[in-house]
Amino acid sequence: MTDNEPTVIARTVVRIVVPIILVTAVSLLLQGHNAPGGGFIGGVLTAVAFVLVYIIFGLDYFETEILDRTALPRALPGEPVEDAEQKRPGITKEFSEVLAIGLALAAGSGIVAVALGYPFLSQAVVFIEGIPLFHEIEVASALAFDLGVYFVVVGGLLTVVAVVGAE
Amino acid sequence: MQPNQWVIAVIVGLPFLAAALTPLVYRLLGERTAYASAAIAAVSFGLVSLLATTGAHGLVSWTWIDAPGFEVTLSFYVDGLSLLIGFLASGIGVLILTYAGGYMHEEPGKMKFYATLLAFMGSMLGVAFAADLIVLFVFWELTSISSFILIGHYTGQPSSQYAARKSMLITVAGGLFMLLGFLLVAGEGGTFQLLGTDQALVAQADSIREGLRADGLFVPALVLIGIGAAAKSAQVPLHIWLPNAMEAPTPVSAFLHSATMVKAGVYLVGRFRPLLVSDEWQLLFVAMGLVTMTVAAILAVGASDIKELLAYSTASHLGLIIAGFGVVGGGASAYGAETGAFHILNHAAFKAALFLVAGIIAHEAGTRMIDDLGGLWRDLPIAAGVTVVAALGMAGVPPFNGFYSKEFLFEATYELAHASGGLWWILPVVAVFGSVFTFLYSIRFVMLFFGEKPETLDHVHTPPWSMRLPAVVLAVVAGLIGLGGITATVGVHIEPLEEFVSQVVGATAIDQGGEHSAHFSYHLPTELTVPVAMSATTIGLGILAYPFYSQLRTTIVRLRSVPVFSANWYYDSAVDGLDQLRVVESKIQTGLLRTYAMVLLLAVSVMTLLAYAVTAVALPSFAGVVTPVPMAIVLGVAVVAGLALTRAPSHVAGVLTLSILGFMVAIFYILGDAPDLALTQLLIETLVLVLFLLVLDKLPPFYGKARRSVVARDAVASSIVGGTVFLTVLVTTGANPNQRISNFFLERGGVPAEHGTWILDYGGGANIVNVILVDFRAFDTLGEISVIAMAALSVITLVAMRERGETQ
Repeated sequence: MTDNEPTVIARTVVRIVVPIILVTAVSLLLQGHNAPGGGFIGGVLTAVAFVLVYIIFGLDYFETEILDRTALPRALPGEPVEDAEQKRPGITKEFSEVLAIGLALAAGSGIVAVALGYPFLSQAVVFIEGIPLFHEIEVASALAFDLGVYFVVVGGLLTVVAVVGAE
Repeated sequence: MQPNQWVIAVIVGLPFLAAALTPLVYRLLGERTAYASAAIAAVSFGLVSLLATTGAHGLVSWTWIDAPGFEVTLSFYVDGLSLLIGFLASGIGVLILTYAGGYMHEEPGKMKFYATLLAFMGSMLGVAFAADLIVLFVFWELTSISSFILIGHYTGQPSSQYAARKSMLITVAGGLFMLLGFLLVAGEGGTFQLLGTDQALVAQADSIREGLRADGLFVPALVLIGIGAAAKSAQVPLHIWLPNAMEAPTPVSAFLHSATMVKAGVYLVGRFRPLLVSDEWQLLFVAMGLVTMTVAAILAVGASDIKELLAYSTASHLGLIIAGFGVVGGGASAYGAETGAFHILNHAAFKAALFLVAGIIAHEAGTRMIDDLGGLWRDLPIAAGVTVVAALGMAGVPPFNGFYSKEFLFEATYELAHASGGLWWILPVVAVFGSVFTFLYSIRFVMLFFGEKPETLDHVHTPPWSMRLPAVVLAVVAGLIGLGGITATVGVHIEPLEEFVSQVVGATAIDQGGEHSAHFSYHLPTELTVPVAMSATTIGLGILAYPFYSQLRTTIVRLRSVPVFSANWYYDSAVDGLDQLRVVESKIQTGLLRTYAMVLLLAVSVMTLLAYAVTAVALPSFAGVVTPVPMAIVLGVAVVAGLALTRAPSHVAGVLTLSILGFMVAIFYILGDAPDLALTQLLIETLVLVLFLLVLDKLPPFYGKARRSVVARDAVASSIVGGTVFLTVLVTTGANPNQRISNFFLERGGVPAEHGTWILDYGGGANIVNVILVDFRAFDTLGEISVIAMAALSVITLVAMRERGETQ
């Protein structure tokens, strides 16, 4: 996007900051039930971390090095495509997969409730006692649903960023 | 007996499930998918028979949302009429799918074909058993859509595309008219439940009729529902899609466009008969039915292609059924109901058989042109036998099955004319006149098999058994019904059949006393009555006119080619005219996002403001409202940023200024004790900033000089939209109910001080925002993430895959 190479400072800062952002995102996701946070915020924060990598290191680095992507061609095989168009990077398959997994997880968590005889998307909470350090941990079934939300948000935002960025 | 809930669920649901699994099955079985699909249809057929033999009658329902006034229920109703249509959809489905196994041997797109046929069968069964107007409408439109796909089976051919679009436009548009009619009726009755409960629409038919009349809405409702039925059942002048629909493979024509889907309109008329019975009803449907019966029969004589002939003939017979259901007065209503009920069955049997024969002819002789065919009985003896039984039934020749139902129509029209006198005497005359043409084209169809074999006709192959057997089964059914009339004359009735038709008659009957209990029976006439004389006249005139068949046809073809006489001409002119209207492109569909956004936002604003004006919303008083200093400062900065935005010299500056506004809002959330919102706002603001900057790279760096008029227009538009939003915020925050919904969540959402290991009832989380998102309103969230997914997929298809796809 930019003509100038990013500075060493920017690269170094990103290297250090991105893992911190990701950890924060995961903690936001996990603590969401009892403190500010949740799947949506966690997902957006994760996407922001990736976007940071993308801005500093470029789209190709981001997709090939970090994600080990499988690019789908932009045109169907055998279709005549102008040369200029051909050069643009393909569509990354992984993002859509993350999206699909997220949706399946969210809907599936609702169906589990149905299978157990509760209305669709009923949630429950269980308290597990006797854990070292924490003494008591609250596990919410809503976490599965939240995880689905998280994946959908990450997949969706990255798809948009990658596609728009590739233009 | 109350029907079993799960039996109905399987009958309607199984075909859809099978349709979804068809791609897998096809990969395993290949062409034999046809027989697997036929087996699915057989299961549905077996279960429908189970319902019929156990005498099931009544309502089954699944309540989804059970809030007073907002109930959403999936409900099905079993009675004679629904069983009849159910029998047709599943029974003929078995035969058609078997037949397709032979017919589709060398055709493309078999997987899609079988999946769509199964989905259609499910939808048709849904229409048959629906007890709720919305359920009925949904399944109704599903049949239209599957019909669209099946008519356009040969996707590459322009004629298929034209035919598919035409049928879609007419039947779906008809469905929308019907929906309006449904809404009028349901609005009056206060429920969408059509049948089965004490509050159902049919149960309170009298008060609904009176209520609609008092509002002056009775005729509109009747006409709207009538248009829906007419579009589906190909009634004049909406019949024009049916002949084109013959572009579909013949199994589809036999199944959808003669035996089942086109019966949906007739079914609707039968269903609403007890609800909307009146003089207007009689006038509308008798006129529509008889006109269609006659016009379509004349057009059938003018046809040059055997499938075209059968298509017009189908429209004509549907007209007969509708005319039957239309008769509700003059002591003739029982005959009317019997005409409709019995002819649905008879027509399905003989017409589907004839279509299958037409398919065999086209497949084995290689042509469908009437003039090129003749003397086929030597090569196709079985088809010839089937045709004789079926076509004579269609002609109304005793003792074949169509004769009896046509007698009922003659009887109904005669009784009606006798009782009402005057102009009503036209009815029996028109009925006879139309029937003469029916007789003519039926005999012409039979004559395909007799006489000289034209020299142009090469060797005719023998069709496979999978194609012959279904036709034979249908002809045997038609023959048995005819035979039942003969035996009944000497006192031996086919009890199950007559009992069943009685039930169908009962379901469409209008008076609670007489017709419900009346036992239906039919037999050959034993003495000369007026209806018998009418039949005799029909056949006599037919025999006299048959030698002049080709002259008649030439005349009809010539008349039809005069544009103003042809409904097709109006359709084509209208479609072409709309196609060429430049107003649409230059003013409405400009292809510019800003036009759409402006129109959309302005429309929403105007409607909202109108709603406020109509309901006279008062602004809340703001006395005593104090804004803390930090908040005032933050909001002040936001306002300044908003003003600065309008002066921004470039895109980049504009976006950056806009994000000042966004970050101020985030700080406002923090001050307002909403950390979740603040976090989200901050993150989204960041992301949007990045996305904006990515896009801006592609745009020119500066806005350029805008014209004064454009600036003024934009300023007005944005002021209106902004003002509306401002007003809405004020009004909504002004609402201050006693029971705040937030209290409901706050009381239940958190972790109680005393709790067990499990909390199952409510959220059990301290972050109420998240508990609402993932528990109380998880369904909403599921919907929202689906929207995110959809948006991402649209971005992929719109932006990234735009080079893909239809290059033609």
